[in-house]
Amino acid sequence: MQLIETTQEALRLLFVGDSELWQIVWISLKISIGALLLVTPLAIVAGYLLATQRFPGRRILVVVVQALFAFPTVVVGLLLYMLLSRHGPLGSLQLLFTQTAMVIGQMLIAAPILIAFTLSAVQGADARVRETAIVLGAGRVRTALSVLREVRFGVMAAVFNGFGRVISEVGCALMVGGNIAGMTRNMPTAIALETTKGEFAQGVALGIVLMTLALSVNFAMSWAQGAGDQRR
Amino acid sequence: MSHLLSCHSLKRQQGDRVLLSVDQLVLELGQTYLLTGANGAGKTTLLRALAGLDSARCANFEFEGVQRSLSPYPRKLHRRIGFVHHHPILFSTSVVANITFGLHATGASRPEAAQRADAAITWAGIRPLVDTPPQALSAGEKQRVALARVHAMDPVLYLLDEPTANLDENGRDLVTRLIDAISKEGRTLLIACHDRELLNLSGVTRLNMTAGRLEVAS
Ligand SMILES: Nc1ncnc2c1ncn2[C@@H]1O[C@H](COP(=O)(O)OP(=O)(O)OP(=O)(O)O)[C@@H](O)[C@H]1O
Ligand SMILES: [Mg+2]
Repeated sequence: MQLIETTQEALRLLFVGDSELWQIVWISLKISIGALLLVTPLAIVAGYLLATQRFPGRRILVVVVQALFAFPTVVVGLLLYMLLSRHGPLGSLQLLFTQTAMVIGQMLIAAPILIAFTLSAVQGADARVRETAIVLGAGRVRTALSVLREVRFGVMAAVFNGFGRVISEVGCALMVGGNIAGMTRNMPTAIALETTKGEFAQGVALGIVLMTLALSVNFAMSWAQGAGDQRR
Repeated sequence: MSHLLSCHSLKRQQGDRVLLSVDQLVLELGQTYLLTGANGAGKTTLLRALAGLDSARCANFEFEGVQRSLSPYPRKLHRRIGFVHHHPILFSTSVVANITFGLHATGASRPEAAQRADAAITWAGIRPLVDTPPQALSAGEKQRVALARVHAMDPVLYLLDEPTANLDENGRDLVTRLIDAISKEGRTLLIACHDRELLNLSGVTRLNMTAGRLEVAS
């Protein structure tokens, strides 16, 4: 049976350490972790400010963030493509079909998730935490850090959620990365495109890696949420 | 005696509702004041306004002989005015980290903070609790840690919101003793409490609130 043979070949690729396969995995991880490292601090600050500050236009911003949550990633890719393409406004940067473009795309995709999760975590925090920090003489930054510390499990869940979304995202990665071997070919684009060229075993092997990652992330997320709930 | 704090026509409004309308409030240095009044009279509101947690308007706010604004509230006043919530919350760090929090926030050096926290722990008699996770402490224990936390800052004015509410007799005794010790150190206290839980303290002045207004009781 072809399915069994394919799976056997996939396992062989995984365990023998096929260099092409693991290079794809490495590129995927590098881009997604890099994007999260860059966007997480900004998104946490934005989420905290949206949760604690009152300013005109705040409600609209919250609605926009929540709407972006449901934005198809391929549309993010399309917009970014138009910005970065040779005749686009940012064409002179020559970023299209680079890892940098993919990192930017994944940052844009992860940002609304991280902001919205942080916002609701901070809003759910006991108001007395913030007030206690203030009356004990803390400034804005120390106050923010103590509130975020109290809701750290919610924020961690946000980061895992964001990672789960960008690591398996195919639309934007394909549009602005271009699936260039050894450069911008990551797990989702390799599965989507190389399988159609007959690379079944590689597709299955990458599928296994991706599923394992997704399951671990989900596990980590429910652990973080459970740990957060337990402390109430 | 000299004034520690005085203010005239202290007002807080929420929409059309007047939550607080105090013609005059004067606190003398070293005095203890018990603030009584029915549920919803405005005791918490008054304490929160003086602690800088809720904005309030005030014609003439003077503290330690200096003219101040009440909102925006000057940050350095937090060093001089301590506030403890009705049901205080502890950060989920550790008992010691809770007590050093305000010291670090106001710029004390590490050794100084550690030393003052240690003194506060001894003062409040909470040494047996230092290894317990703060969330796991009972209400009475939390209250004493919160008192140690504010005492470590050595403010001149303590604003305490129902510090003995929901404590049993023993817990109330322990907390009352700490409050008595603060008063003996010459600090000023403004304590919200209900008639049935009147603290067993000597030489206190009672202030009574009704619907956001203040009157001096006997
Ligand atoms: N943000 C707010 N908006 C509207 N009303 C408020 C707000 N905050 C407080 N109040 C009202 O102000 C009044 C005074 O409340 P406060 O908490 O000061 O009473 P209290 O004297 O502390 O009562 P208790 O003995 O129950 O603690 C209450 O009627 C309350 O509903
Ligand atoms: Mg109250």
